[in-house]
Amino acid sequence: MVATRRTDGVVVLASIAVAAVVAALPQLGASSYSQILVYYAAYYLALGQSWNLMSGMTGYVSFAHGALAGIGAYAAVIALNAGWPMAPALLAGPAVALLASFVIGATSLRLRGVAFTFATLFFQELALLVLRKMPISGGPGGLALQDIVPIWLPQLLMIVLACGATIVMVALRGSRTGIRLLAIKGDETAALSLGIGAAKMKVALFCVSAAIAGGAGAIHGLFTASLYPDVVFNVDVSLIALAVPMIGGVATAMGPVVGAVLYVCIGEAFAIFAPSLHVVAVGALLLLVILFMPTGLAPFIAQRLCRQSPRATNAVEGRTP
Amino acid sequence: MTPVLEARGLRKTFGGVQAVRGVDIDVAKGEVVGLFGPNGAGKSTLFDLVAGAIAPDAGAVHLDGRDVTRLAAWRRARLGIGRTFQITRPFRDLTAIENVLAAVPRVGAPGRHDADAARATLAKVGLGDRADDISGRLTLGMLKRLEVARVLALQPTLLLLDEPLAGLTGREAAEILDLIVVLKSEISIVLVEHNVRQSLPVCDRALVLDAGEVIAVGLPDEIRVDPRVLKAYLGEEGRPRC
Amino acid sequence: MTITLALQLLVNGLVVGGLLGLVALGLALIFGVMRVVNFAHGEFITLGAYLTWLIAGGLGMSPLLGVPVAFLAGAAVGWAVQTLLISRVASRPSLDMLMVTYALSAIGLGLFSLAFGGDFRSYSEGPNGEVHLAGVSIGLRGLTVLCICALLSAAVMALLRSGHVGLALRAVAQNREAAASCGIDTRRAERTAFSLAVGLAAAAGSLVSLIGTTTPSVGHDWVLDGFVVVVVGGLGSIPGALLAAVLIGLVQSFCGFVFDDAWAKIITYVLLYATLLLRPQGLLGQPMEA
Repeated sequence: MVATRRTDGVVVLASIAVAAVVAALPQLGASSYSQILVYYAAYYLALGQSWNLMSGMTGYVSFAHGALAGIGAYAAVIALNAGWPMAPALLAGPAVALLASFVIGATSLRLRGVAFTFATLFFQELALLVLRKMPISGGPGGLALQDIVPIWLPQLLMIVLACGATIVMVALRGSRTGIRLLAIKGDETAALSLGIGAAKMKVALFCVSAAIAGGAGAIHGLFTASLYPDVVFNVDVSLIALAVPMIGGVATAMGPVVGAVLYVCIGEAFAIFAPSLHVVAVGALLLLVILFMPTGLAPFIAQRLCRQSPRATNAVEGRTP
Repeated sequence: MTPVLEARGLRKTFGGVQAVRGVDIDVAKGEVVGLFGPNGAGKSTLFDLVAGAIAPDAGAVHLDGRDVTRLAAWRRARLGIGRTFQITRPFRDLTAIENVLAAVPRVGAPGRHDADAARATLAKVGLGDRADDISGRLTLGMLKRLEVARVLALQPTLLLLDEPLAGLTGREAAEILDLIVVLKSEISIVLVEHNVRQSLPVCDRALVLDAGEVIAVGLPDEIRVDPRVLKAYLGEEGRPRC
Repeated sequence: MTITLALQLLVNGLVVGGLLGLVALGLALIFGVMRVVNFAHGEFITLGAYLTWLIAGGLGMSPLLGVPVAFLAGAAVGWAVQTLLISRVASRPSLDMLMVTYALSAIGLGLFSLAFGGDFRSYSEGPNGEVHLAGVSIGLRGLTVLCICALLSAAVMALLRSGHVGLALRAVAQNREAAASCGIDTRRAERTAFSLAVGLAAAAGSLVSLIGTTTPSVGHDWVLDGFVVVVVGGLGSIPGALLAAVLIGLVQSFCGFVFDDAWAKIITYVLLYATLLLRPQGLLGQPMEA
């Protein structure tokens, strides 16, 4: 365990270093096109890590993360339009998402099996329906941010959030709590018999995960500056939150990094060649990964590169292939 | 002296089947109680009821004098009830040592629960050199022993062992029985086993279950020749076998 | 509310309920026999809908022909999917299976968008006009859908209650290992259950295209309500699914009139949450572990 702690420390420092470089890109003269790509990579990474934290670690699949990000976006934009200062307005995003997740989690995580997954699936639909109706959210016509924010702010914030979420994941994986969460994922009955308070841990983790997703949504609301319910609550966003970690490497810290970069590349490639194939390609890739390398791309590659004992580093190893 | 475990009138019905029908069981400190009976007698269900995995239809469970009947399984584990499963339930993607570290030690337990302690526990069950192996790759015999190591990490006061010897070689089984003898000075143990001949010698008392009811309770030598027990197992009367 | 209006809403509710029942029947079958939640079920509904649109709108033939065609096509696709994909992942943790069906759903949705675009498709072939009964006017299309749903549901129930196939399916659903040790080919039972369920979904899609418009996400919308029905009825319980389908169909019909369609959906989802909170096993299901 000591060895992996040291490598985890290295990973954390490397993440911060990379994030700092990436954040400084605008200063270094990178084109605005590449800046936008970097932004989206950070956004997908933040979303993916938030999903990974909950569903990757416990095995309880959430389809709500897109909606959680969405309500975060609406909360932040509504707060800003109402004259709130920047910091509290942005915090409104994670706060609202946390509240919603607490309600969903406290009700459905008492139960095992798919109850939670269904609850999150319907939350997505419910959020869309409710937000289309509420006058405060501008209805189906959408909501615009009244004072446009300079673009470097969401760019910087998203990079910080993505880096922070990754560090949280590294810390979790190296901790006793992380082991216990994976125990819940592996066999919840056995975990309960060993004194693990599964229900409470699941709810707490879901709330943390939701707060991150809500934060990502809030920042993204600043970036896009206008919100349309059908776009914000599109099932695509939940697909991203899920596909990025599953393809990259579930329950690992580096997996979603690989997944996010890959997603951005696929997106760009298909935007040029075949715009409508994007979703099909992601679905097909997800299917292939599940069938042939279920631990994800990062662990698969890591094992090919360094053929040593199965515990290379907590950041990259997921589960028994 | 309060018994470690005192269960009264436990009753559980599944659909149309009465799995446990009014069972009482007492376990004193430092005692090993053997729980025997033919297949389907309700032994595993009784374990589930005592450990809190399922709720009884009637009856009460007291641990060290405290009523735990309404407590969830994980809370009972934190109070000191540890149990193993008839079919092993390892956390397959975790290493052996991570399996042991996953346990949450009993509230107020004196021992440390860190990596070194976990390795020591694994060594106690003969898995010292397997600590960093992924548990999904271990053999059945090793998994049985891992299950014991894992539950020991709880530092329980009451240990419910569900067929710990099944699937073990003769030598492995003897080692586990030796371990039980060593443990019993600190931990009270209820032992379910089919291998009556090998396990009866380590028991201080024995209980025999048949069709959800206790049909005999007493010292091992008494149980061995009890006609009701022989009838339950063998279907014939009055033929002592050992 | 007049009696006539109430009867009208009742009939509408039964039509929706009938369709939901067909969808939920498939979902309950798959979950009951295989313990799999088929997140791709909606895409099979969409498949049936587009196939029927092609037959009616494209070839000008009766859309009623679409029902058996969709059923057979769906069953064939279901057979292939189960054999090639689902069975490979069956022994893995349930997370993997969920991802497989979800990935299939994404692929299906994408393919339909690609092939047909986002336009709303409909056709005028098929039964048209109305029937008047006791002051209530029932569209012939709706009536046809209701009749076919009832027929198909009854046929499936009959299949399950009697005969080798039904017995095998019920045995595997109740206790897989015991069924295997009785000589029942469990893998074949799973293939049968899955293809039958997917065939039903496609048939339902065919009927959906008759009374509504077809879009790439039409199946997705129906299957969401299908999931509500299955949870409210009790996961894995077939009678529960049918009962809950009628219930939800009626709730949506009446609430849709009294408030509006969006509120009807909101109320449906609230019902779902209430079920999870108060009675997780649904109306007729087994208690879920907690």
